[in-house]
Amino acid sequence: MSLAVARPAESRLREPQAVIAELSEIADYIAHLREEIGALRANEMSQDRIPMAHEELGSVVAATAGATNTIMEAAEAMLGLPDGPGYRDAVEERINTIFEACAFQDITGQRIAKVVESLRLFEQRLARFVGAVKARDTASMDPTERARRARAEDLMLHGPQADQQVPSQDDIDALFG
Amino acid sequence: MALDLSMPILVVDDYQTMVRIIRNLLKQLGFEEVDDASDGTEALARLKDRKYGLVISDWNMEPMTGYELLRHVRADENLRTTPFIMVTAESKTENVIAAKKAGVNNYIVKPFNAATLKSKIEAVCGS
Repeated sequence: MSLAVARPAESRLREPQAVIAELSEIADYIAHLREEIGALRANEMSQDRIPMAHEELGSVVAATAGATNTIMEAAEAMLGLPDGPGYRDAVEERINTIFEACAFQDITGQRIAKVVESLRLFEQRLARFVGAVKARDTASMDPTERARRARAEDLMLHGPQADQQVPSQDDIDALFG
Repeated sequence: MALDLSMPILVVDDYQTMVRIIRNLLKQLGFEEVDDASDGTEALARLKDRKYGLVISDWNMEPMTGYELLRHVRADENLRTTPFIMVTAESKTENVIAAKKAGVNNYIVKPFNAATLKSKIEAVCGS
């Protein structure tokens, strides 16, 4: 005799209703998930904003390197100038070159602002998605990322610290006695 | 403090602008014999080819970091006494302590100025 046959009629009637309710909940959840995934606008991120951020940051690196070279060349040229009547004019010419090169800061500032805006948007959408689907991080990590982190930890590759966390040269000197 | 201005110096940094800055500062101090390498591996090869009076190295480089270079230098019988100054943005105390334990002679945090570089070179190489 099967169990279903043994159960009271009311229970047998409720069971399909419970299953239907559960399926309906799952369907609602899937629909909600689809909405949330759509709200992430992942295609816009991967095809538009992230490539834009790469391009902008690449331009920032190129602009800062270009400006640094121009400034250093002008400074090196000044160091090599001979004394004499034309000295002041020659120095002023190079100083003007340095002023012009410093204009990069305005443009790079605007480029960085665009990247920051994209990151803010990305953060906002991800936070909403994480909240909506109650996402939890898995313990496993990509092997390449794991290896990269292990190397960084072993070799203490932290990179520059936030300004307020950087010890002074005096603090460091104190460690050397 | 008397410095041997004829001693060759090896500057190790993967950022060419920083190499150029240090070269210019060293030139201002009177040092003319300055070579450079873009990471620890290249630096080790240079150190085996020429006797340097001082190594000035960045920390964060690929494939061999300045910290690894320092450990290689201190483990090598022929190089272990070479003065070594770390010039880096790695400013965590644990980095400084690790470098000191590994045998670094001095440690400068970027960004630095000419006076700091000069005083550290004098402290390490001055007679």
